[in-house]
Amino acid sequence: MSSKEELLKRLSDGVVEMEEDDVAEAAQEYLDAGYLAFDGIMEGLVDGMNRASELYEAEEYFVTDVLLCSDAMYAGLDILRPHLPEVSGDDKVTGVIGVVEGDTHDIGKNLVKIMLETAGFNMIDLGRDVPLARFVETAKEENAAFVCLSTLMTTTMGGMETVIRLLDEAGIRDKVKVMIGGGPISQKYADKIGADGYSQNAVEAVKLAKRLLNI
Amino acid sequence: MLTPKERLKMILEGRQADRPACICPGGMMNMVTSELMDRVKVYMPEAHTDARQMAKLAKAVYEEGCFENYGVPFCMTVEAEEMGAKVDMGTNVYEPHVTGYVIDSVSEVSKLKPVDLAAGRAKVVLDAIRILKKETADVPIVGNLTGPISTAGSVMEPVTFYKELRKKNQEAHRYMEFITEQLIAFGRAQIEAGADLIAVSDPSGTGEILGPKYFKEFAVTYINRLLDALQEEKMGTIVHICGQMSPVYKEVNEVKSSALSFDSIVPMKEAREHLKDRVLMGNVSTYALEFGDPERVKMLTRSCVKSGSDIISPACGLGMKSPLGNVQAILAGLTEEEECRRGQDQ
Repeated sequence: MSSKEELLKRLSDGVVEMEEDDVAEAAQEYLDAGYLAFDGIMEGLVDGMNRASELYEAEEYFVTDVLLCSDAMYAGLDILRPHLPEVSGDDKVTGVIGVVEGDTHDIGKNLVKIMLETAGFNMIDLGRDVPLARFVETAKEENAAFVCLSTLMTTTMGGMETVIRLLDEAGIRDKVKVMIGGGPISQKYADKIGADGYSQNAVEAVKLAKRLLNI
Repeated sequence: MLTPKERLKMILEGRQADRPACICPGGMMNMVTSELMDRVKVYMPEAHTDARQMAKLAKAVYEEGCFENYGVPFCMTVEAEEMGAKVDMGTNVYEPHVTGYVIDSVSEVSKLKPVDLAAGRAKVVLDAIRILKKETADVPIVGNLTGPISTAGSVMEPVTFYKELRKKNQEAHRYMEFITEQLIAFGRAQIEAGADLIAVSDPSGTGEILGPKYFKEFAVTYINRLLDALQEEKMGTIVHICGQMSPVYKEVNEVKSSALSFDSIVPMKEAREHLKDRVLMGNVSTYALEFGDPERVKMLTRSCVKSGSDIISPACGLGMKSPLGNVQAILAGLTEEEECRRGQDQ
């Protein structure tokens, strides 16, 4: 039988190497051997995803690679997560994420969501082509600490400014940080519309969220 | 004085013209703004489905002094829709976008129907080109195609598609072959209808998403297959690719278009250094066009020229709220420069 370290390495390597089936198998062996699910997630799966994001930052991995790595990570999570001790979801910081109305390009948004979830945030994904008021309603209902808005099109970026105005009108602008990103978006645009931050890619988005929320 | 058509032709052939051309192709590279629609009282979404309205709006782009070309269509959903995708036609400020995919996996390619050029919006686009051809003379008509990767990612969920490039590699190629055949048929029909050149925009096929290996294996391969299959007698082809080029300059140089166009993240100077012998198009910031003023746009235009751009154009599709004065400032800046130069020569 493999040691805990060996299994953790298999989980981590499997994520980096995009081996979905192998990760699932290793996760099952890991559980059967009686090790803690929490360690398997953090030191195995999340460790692998962090290594994948380092490769992405170094331009050795590209978006397609990271998507496959995350598939492998989720395959492992599906097996390990049910064995976590009950913790209340209240401990987690909640964020709302989506692609603004008029745009259906969601690759970047998905990547940001994966990275934020890996970093321990509870992300509520509204999907794409999201009516602007829904960001505000959801942030209110879920008591979200931040909202992430994405678009790849110049024609729809104006919707981000509207969301900020709607948050203002709903009286929750000071409780909700707004992060924006996507092809045509820049720091300059974020400053112009009064967003709290801009990040150029998914790895930066995690750093930005932590900075804005003092985590 | 050269006509816009003569000028663009010379530039695409790599010859020296009196000044850089100033165009915005259409398709993904949107050149229609709210102010322009108000001027001619033709509006989206109607202009997406009516050939006469489409042609009228395309004409306005040149007649109002924005760009020296006509271009249709004004979106990148025609090809996917004709293959069965559900499309929301958008509003007067939002472009049409795909809301329902046709297949779930590249292996279901046999379920797709070929594009029918005699029906639907493919026919609208071809009719609009025929109208432009019949009613105009000296201004180049650009027919637009959605690039192979972007079309492939509009007919099925793009995340699944990207993953299957690796997981179902052979089937992904068969899927891409089918998609490319449809684009070839549509592109050839556009040229037959009177398009002078074909612009291909492939925003979903970037080097950043695919990485150099898949960029070459899929994006470059199928863009080139498409370009090779278009008629010889056309004036030229433009390929626009989004995102950073630094990981893929070598691969991009293999794209066999007459001109290459990049978005504003790529410094024109850097592109010129890496692609010395290519005709380059770009890339006035669409941010400046929407939020800047005419003076700033003129300054950016001069900087593009100085950095080695042969065809000056917006870096991406225009935001609908871009003031007409800003949009017109690109061309105004170029002609002012030219007059200034002539004055000095005399």
